[in-house]
Amino acid sequence: MFNILKKELRALVKDRRAMMLGLLMPIILISVFSLAFGGMNKAGDKKAQLLVCDEDKTSISQKVVAGVDSVKAIEMYTTTTDSAIRLVKTGKYPGVLILHKGFADSVNALKSLPWEMKYDAAQSVQMQMMQQYLMQSLYGSVGKMMREKMVMKNSEKQFAGMDDESRTFAMLQAKKGIESSSKDMDDLQGNIMKIQSSPVTIEQDNAGIVQAVSGTAVMMLLFSLTAMGGRLLEEKENGTLKRLLYSPLKATDILTGKMLSSIIFAVIQLLIMFTFSSSVFGLILWPKIASVLLLITATAFACSGFGMFLASVVKSRDQLQSLSTLAILSMSVIGGSMVPSFLMPTWMQTVGHISINYWSIQGFFDIFWRQLPITDIEFLKKVGVLLLFGTVLSTLAFRLFRKNVTSMA
Amino acid sequence: MIEVKNITKSYGKTQAVRGISFSIKDGECFGLLGPNGAGKSTTINMLSMLFPPNAGQITIGGIDVAKANGEVKSMLGIVPQEIALYEKFTAWENILFWGSIYGVKGKALNDKAEQLLKWVGLFDRRKDLVKDYSGGMKRRINIACALLHSPKVLLLDEPTVGVDPQSRNLIFELIQQLNKEGMTIIYTTHYMEEAEKLCDRIGIIDNGLIIAQGTLDELKKQSEVNDMIIVDCTQTPDEKMLAEKLKTTVSVHENRLSILSEDSKKDLTRIVTTCTDAGYEITRIDIQKANLESVFLKMTGKQLRD
Repeated sequence: MFNILKKELRALVKDRRAMMLGLLMPIILISVFSLAFGGMNKAGDKKAQLLVCDEDKTSISQKVVAGVDSVKAIEMYTTTTDSAIRLVKTGKYPGVLILHKGFADSVNALKSLPWEMKYDAAQSVQMQMMQQYLMQSLYGSVGKMMREKMVMKNSEKQFAGMDDESRTFAMLQAKKGIESSSKDMDDLQGNIMKIQSSPVTIEQDNAGIVQAVSGTAVMMLLFSLTAMGGRLLEEKENGTLKRLLYSPLKATDILTGKMLSSIIFAVIQLLIMFTFSSSVFGLILWPKIASVLLLITATAFACSGFGMFLASVVKSRDQLQSLSTLAILSMSVIGGSMVPSFLMPTWMQTVGHISINYWSIQGFFDIFWRQLPITDIEFLKKVGVLLLFGTVLSTLAFRLFRKNVTSMA
Repeated sequence: MIEVKNITKSYGKTQAVRGISFSIKDGECFGLLGPNGAGKSTTINMLSMLFPPNAGQITIGGIDVAKANGEVKSMLGIVPQEIALYEKFTAWENILFWGSIYGVKGKALNDKAEQLLKWVGLFDRRKDLVKDYSGGMKRRINIACALLHSPKVLLLDEPTVGVDPQSRNLIFELIQQLNKEGMTIIYTTHYMEEAEKLCDRIGIIDNGLIIAQGTLDELKKQSEVNDMIIVDCTQTPDEKMLAEKLKTTVSVHENRLSILSEDSKKDLTRIVTTCTDAGYEITRIDIQKANLESVFLKMTGKQLRD
């Protein structure tokens, strides 16, 4: 197995042009994508997800929750505050609107409302878009309630000397012309209804860079490792694979040696890409190097398994080229390598879970954006999924390879 | 050394080997002679344990290959039909790699590699990339790569395909030398002269069956052929018509007629008359003593060609 590994690495080093292309191409693409995504400040028009926590649980707070739920552009879920903050911190939801205790009392007393918005800094673009929809709805519900109360309060003072019947009539007229003084309305919008908004993750200014680097890196890695898988077919075509199978080596030794060389190459390729991004685009890499190495290794294993799987499925290098281009581009699109996942429709985001790209990119966001430590279960879950991808794909590759051995004659 | 008993192999509905049996003694050179697609490579692949037979038994050095793995594989050196080398590696790197996968290491590997490269006459060019070698040089390295672990049995699957006559003669000398040193050799070919020159015994294989086996003299006796008359004409003769008229085995290849005869002196006049009556203009006649080609023609009814 180690003889095969050594031979594969030697073959790689000897083919300098292929190696340079393998390393330079991703760097060029990373640069292009980083420049493109670096100025990214527009979100798409898909339905935004929002968590809502109603700690007040009054009829007024429930009306507000119902109002949020009725906004077509928002997909709302209710949960407890602790759970919501955890879900936002791990990047599963972009933000949470919390209605604290005493919300209804504040509405009635026309005091500053005890509500706040907490969000994932990695998804601030999505949150900006969502707040616009949210405020339109809240001014329509809470705002209307408070404006009515404001008018009634002013009217009571104004019509204090009238008999009951005349005062009721006057107040109804005032309610119809609900627009009271612009000063009051400014106060309502600017102070009383203001939502305190704060990120629960550390705010970074390099979302585009993380997206570009991780997205491009994984996509290019898939291409590189599939090409390395193609060397298996090359060996089959030129007879060296058959000669290897004549030897006392087992088929699994041959594939394991090839996979190990792919993984080593992939780790080196990813490290070069991230080092380049660190020095050119200012990605803060070294304090998180342990997490990065772990994720890189898991990604390399998954991508290597993918390359070997494709090489074991097809019968020729031409077939491999067509199939791999289709598979890699599809995975890259749905997995968020080309377009950030949060800009995609919800169903597409769900489909994206079947791609290696998605889990790897989200893992890199965990490291560079959400600042999750290496021990965080959410980060480790992504590493685990990538390892699972690698294990399943490698197992299938090994089985298919064994099956194809009989067609070597 | 090698016992093959009634082995069969099918690929889907195609039966590539249909019950082959032969045995090879220690130090013997055994030839498997047959046309392309006869089942030679499939037989070699089963002997080398690339895949098992569907039925039958193979024993090598007294070990049933169905129950063994590494130990039998280490006894075998295999020279595949393809030039199975890494073209971007030098000859030295190739030879070290192929030796290493058989467990030969360190000084022993280096010494053996040097010895083999000198033996095949390529030591001075050991640092050149294999892709820059001629076809004959690649074939020699292809053989050397199978010998690093000093195998007891060498299986050569058509090792001279596409090689110039000079390199072919050199390869013959190498094989003869190995055989003299006591190595058991199985040699597959579709070249008659190679089998005649190199092999102690020959098995003639056609359509997945060994139709005859033995020494060249034994095969000649079995075929009951004494002579083969070769007739060159100005046009392509009608094989079926001539076979019916001459009542013997006739084979036509382009403008050449090959006719088997038990007594060429007696048959020659009749053959010339029949050809002339049929309107064929004869340009050349040659009478050959029975050889492997005539034996093959007698046994299969067809000629063995490249």
